[in-house]
Amino acid sequence: MAVLLHKDRLLSLATGGIVTLAAIPLLFVAYTSLQLNASEWAGLWSSRMPGLLWNTFLLVILVAAGCLVLGVSAAWLIARRQFPGRTAALWLMVLPLTIPTYVFAYVYTSLLESHGWLGRLWVGLFGEGVPVPDLYNAVGVALILSLSGFSYVFLMSYAALRRSNPHLEEAARIQGATSREVFWHITLPLLRPAIAAGLAVVTLHVLSDFGAVSMLRYQTFTLSIYLQMTGRFDYEAAAGLSLVLVMLALTFLVFERFFRSRQRFYFGSRVKRVTPRRASRGELILIWSWLGLIALLAFVLPLLWMLSWSWTAWTQKAIGVEFWGYLGNSLLVAFAAATIAVFAALPIGYYYNRVRSWLSALYLHLSSIGFVLPGPVVALGALTFILTALPALYGGLLALVLVLVVRFLPLAVQSQESALQQLTPSIEQAGRILGAGPVENLRRVVLPMIRGGMISAWVLVFIDVMKELPATLILRPIGFDTLPVRIWIEASEEMLELAAPAALLLLVGSLPAMWIVMRGEKAR
Amino acid sequence: MKSRLINGLLALLMFAVASGVSVADDGALVIYSGRSDKFVKPVVEAFTRETGIQVVLHSAKSTALLNKLRVEGARTQADLYISNDAGNLQLGSDLGLFEPLDGKLVEDIPANLRAPDNTWVGLSARARVLVVNTRQSRTAFVKSVFDLADPRLKGRLGITNSSNESFIAGTTVYMLKAGKEATRQWLQGMKDNAEGQVFNKHSKIVAAVAEGRKDIGLVNHYYIYRHLAKHPEAPVKILLPDQGDGGMGVAWNVAGVAVSKFSHRKEQAGRLVRFLVSREGQEIFARVNREYPTRGGVAADPAIPPVSSYKVADVPMAELARQRNATIDLLEEVGMP
Repeated sequence: MAVLLHKDRLLSLATGGIVTLAAIPLLFVAYTSLQLNASEWAGLWSSRMPGLLWNTFLLVILVAAGCLVLGVSAAWLIARRQFPGRTAALWLMVLPLTIPTYVFAYVYTSLLESHGWLGRLWVGLFGEGVPVPDLYNAVGVALILSLSGFSYVFLMSYAALRRSNPHLEEAARIQGATSREVFWHITLPLLRPAIAAGLAVVTLHVLSDFGAVSMLRYQTFTLSIYLQMTGRFDYEAAAGLSLVLVMLALTFLVFERFFRSRQRFYFGSRVKRVTPRRASRGELILIWSWLGLIALLAFVLPLLWMLSWSWTAWTQKAIGVEFWGYLGNSLLVAFAAATIAVFAALPIGYYYNRVRSWLSALYLHLSSIGFVLPGPVVALGALTFILTALPALYGGLLALVLVLVVRFLPLAVQSQESALQQLTPSIEQAGRILGAGPVENLRRVVLPMIRGGMISAWVLVFIDVMKELPATLILRPIGFDTLPVRIWIEASEEMLELAAPAALLLLVGSLPAMWIVMRGEKAR
Repeated sequence: MKSRLINGLLALLMFAVASGVSVADDGALVIYSGRSDKFVKPVVEAFTRETGIQVVLHSAKSTALLNKLRVEGARTQADLYISNDAGNLQLGSDLGLFEPLDGKLVEDIPANLRAPDNTWVGLSARARVLVVNTRQSRTAFVKSVFDLADPRLKGRLGITNSSNESFIAGTTVYMLKAGKEATRQWLQGMKDNAEGQVFNKHSKIVAAVAEGRKDIGLVNHYYIYRHLAKHPEAPVKILLPDQGDGGMGVAWNVAGVAVSKFSHRKEQAGRLVRFLVSREGQEIFARVNREYPTRGGVAADPAIPPVSSYKVADVPMAELARQRNATIDLLEEVGMP
């Protein structure tokens, strides 16, 4: 007992240390917003807040709905039907994760111009009289963010559908339930934790997205904060808005966690995997038209756009060796940040799973809400901290890596947590009864069980760091350019033929990571 | 197995730190550049060839870099700051981030194109002009930028979104010359004419006018000539607004450079500035983007209208910084897209 207590205290200390580091940007925001006086708060509240709240809320709802429809439908079709090209379909549903939101926004705005591919198609279909729709509104932004984010919901729903216990569905069917009733009353409720986790990741991405909203001029909290900071140098107002954003995220997370806490399903160890049914010919056509449409919009079209512009660059001999340097920089930063983040996240989730107390819950939430802080705010907070506390690190790569770890730690915590939930207390107790010490138990029982969760957390963080722009832009060492930085620099000068190859390399560079996560998901 | 993993991790970290150190080359001058690499590189390379001094370009948005300078304070690694916008330069100067340049160094640049205390100096200037489609006559009545608010242009006007630096700077000039109320009405009229559709790039406005999707647009002059260089037959031409008696003249903005107050290599930084304002540097800097050299007597690209051929609004560049927040307030009040 004494040993156990000691171990938990150690765990608590380690968790506390990591969380404190991760909370630095948050503390910066809280501290800076303290400089606002009451009348400035009132001014912020009455002038900007209502519009921003409405815009942000609307966007979250629309994107959640979009991701739900795209992600769950695709997951169900691929998990429950056997059809030709299933592995390809699986890949096509996750590959959109390799394309940053700002590239999506950029590609679609240029495709929808009247001389772009989609613009010409539109004019061909409807004639000159009907104006080509544009993306500079809530629906347009939601479309872009849904296309770039539905894969999270897909991945988590698909994994849950693959490992869910078929006995419940079989039992329902034996009782005479129709397929539709089985789906609505058994499958979907069982999927709820996975969907909730996927939507949580999507929502946190939406709240903190900077790329797409700034390109499409849709005023969310994040964009408004950025404009306050850089346009007006008004750090206090920016911090005030950030604080409200954090409160919103906190409410959302507590709500989501409450929703999920009542939804813990322990599956027995002898779970039979669901065998997907062979699709009939009619189903096959439906499946591929639906999945094909999703894949076309979320991956194939952007890919073709990148290829076509990269080809232009190639023929103009505009692609030099420096692109390999950018790729190397991106891979280095993403690899380092993802690895550190996964190990740093482990104690937080593990502690919460072991000890349910207000402290462990506080740690978990504190480590999660930072994710909604806009990249520029995180960067500025970290910059201030590093300059005062750790000046030796400043300007080095390590500082950038650590800030990216802080920025994406919540993602690692979130995605490892679902794996940790599988660790029922009895499994650990069994190890202990069989004579394993705490360390051996961790090494031989706990880690192997959550390895899958750690790997997917690593991949998710890796891919997000590969795409990260605002914090990298501010904190990278002098002359250190990553692919997103190059995309941004070239795109802001209209050098599409140089932005496209960088985006293409970003996609290619993320492929090995995608392969790692997909390796265990071969369609059987 | 685990220990191998941890060893690997440590090695990686060391590598990260080591490469972080190697990136910041101690001998090189560091420029925080808010201008596209493509436009800065040629002149910097010429400087390195001539002096042997290495230069590292650290590119990002002008405003973001100014934020960085401000937060870094004395710890900054930057020796120089290049911005696309005089507003940013003056703001940095007001924040005390820049070292005053030697008066002799910058005396060849007109006083209205540099800071009053020489903390920054303009290197190239651009004009805020109109681009019109030559195959239509609907815009024949347009003589002033204020005519862009005329309802006759409904749906035919191309403007950028209002967070564009050039848009903000231009609006500031008009506000200083014509007053706040007139500018508000002008913005309102343009907002109606744009019908919610604004462009995120100036080049797209020129393309839209060339293709007849719009009749007229408000742009920086070089975007027109960049388009014409690629498509010599394009039916677009420049229209210099607000000329003639009583006209306020064309709004100008400059890109410029400043030396960080905290630079440890001020002497080399000064040499770079000297090169940038020299005849040779000016020719390269202005040529790459078809802008106006700020130094008198250096020829601009022959395609663009000569400086002497039109009237420029007499607003000191430093004012662009002072009025910037007022302009942003106005843009937000109107709800400019």
